[in-house]
Amino acid sequence: MTEKSSDPIVFVIDDDASVREALKSLFRSVGLQVAVFASGPEFLRTELPDAPSCLVLDVRLPGLSGLDFQTELERSDIHVPIIFMTGHGDIPMTVRAIKAGALEFLTKPFRDQDMLDAVQLALERDRARRETETAVSRLRASFGTLTPREQEVMTLVTAGLMNKQIAAELGVSEITVKVHRGHVTRKMRARSLADLVRMADVLGIRKGGQA
Amino acid sequence: MLSELASAREREVASHAELARVTRLTAMGAMTASIAHEVNQPLAAIVTNSNAAIRWLANATPDLDEARAALKRIANDGHRASEVIGSIRALFKKDRSAATRFSLNDLVLEVLALVRNEMRTQDVSVRTELAPELPAVSGDRVQLQLVVVNLIVNAVEAMGAIPPDARHLVIRSSIAEPDRVLVAVEDTGAGIDPEDADRIFDAFYTTKSQGMGMGLAICRSIVEAHGGRLSVSPRKPGGSIFHLALPSAAMSPA
Repeated sequence: MTEKSSDPIVFVIDDDASVREALKSLFRSVGLQVAVFASGPEFLRTELPDAPSCLVLDVRLPGLSGLDFQTELERSDIHVPIIFMTGHGDIPMTVRAIKAGALEFLTKPFRDQDMLDAVQLALERDRARRETETAVSRLRASFGTLTPREQEVMTLVTAGLMNKQIAAELGVSEITVKVHRGHVTRKMRARSLADLVRMADVLGIRKGGQA
Repeated sequence: MLSELASAREREVASHAELARVTRLTAMGAMTASIAHEVNQPLAAIVTNSNAAIRWLANATPDLDEARAALKRIANDGHRASEVIGSIRALFKKDRSAATRFSLNDLVLEVLALVRNEMRTQDVSVRTELAPELPAVSGDRVQLQLVVVNLIVNAVEAMGAIPPDARHLVIRSSIAEPDRVLVAVEDTGAGIDPEDADRIFDAFYTTKSQGMGMGLAICRSIVEAHGGRLSVSPRKPGGSIFHLALPSAAMSPA
């Protein structure tokens, strides 16, 4: 089977070698790429592939606890979805983990289907997140190609002003406004005004809208 | 009315949490957590390896090498789990060098002093009927303390669901001729289902939502390692009595 660098991958962090090996075999048996680590630092030291991924992590790791590691990941701007495992769970720990954004919390020994379902969901979430991030980057890049005046026009158009009002606001003719508008629509690759408004929301430039 | 209920509930939750904290603070609590973790690791590996092997074999072309490798790992993990259990048992083998002579009456009073606050918070009334001149026992004081703590904590938890003014804990000590000392821990709680009575001393058996089921199994191991016996009988009209019997030390009362 040829591996694409963008094939989804599961990262496992557990200090117990048996658990690592067993999970590796399980994930591979359903065709998933998997990489295993014995500790949080080991994972952080590794260069991560550019692919949808998720993290299966034991809450009880020597040194940094799984929950502290979760905080550490956020601080390092790593937003990989997390599934926690534990050999001994208590309710406060579960609640803390879920509140901190963990996708799932499984007690060992867990049913393989529960783990696989959680991983499936996690990978879908990560795929969606990566798509959104890419889309936002693209929008920002496009917005960057607008001239300052075009950026102004886009802000005013998406705020709901008519061409006439924009012309008055900027002290130019209506025709000039229309020309700028055309450029904006083309450069931003907007298919409609509604589309442009949505883009302005994502970019956070819409006045009177949700920044 | 609602806010009264809410604050009563809050107090109940807080005192449960406090009781759980006391349990955790005792060495047994910490120990059973470690033990559970240690045993659940190889168990998780065994279950996961088994499931992986099933999936490898269910492939369009079954992958026998992968399945075989998984089965080998299962065998190793099984042995590792049994080693963990073995080391737990070794922990509780009676260690002659740690044996001292002491009175169970003293031990009971010490433990009650330890849990006095929790009794108050939980509105549990405590009565002791301790036989004077109780013969001493010989053994590991810390281990037997853990047993008594566990029995008392269980009793208090068993009474958690009944009205506060009905929560009565009685601890009795007595002599059973010719050479045994008995301590009975009696509660007025929900009692134990006769169906479960045999199983409550089994390892990993628990009726609590948050229990690991190790407490009573460990208690029994400790007691038996001291040549004694731990059992339970129902209390009429409701509740349970745990009976701890130990051989008295050869010499005269402590």
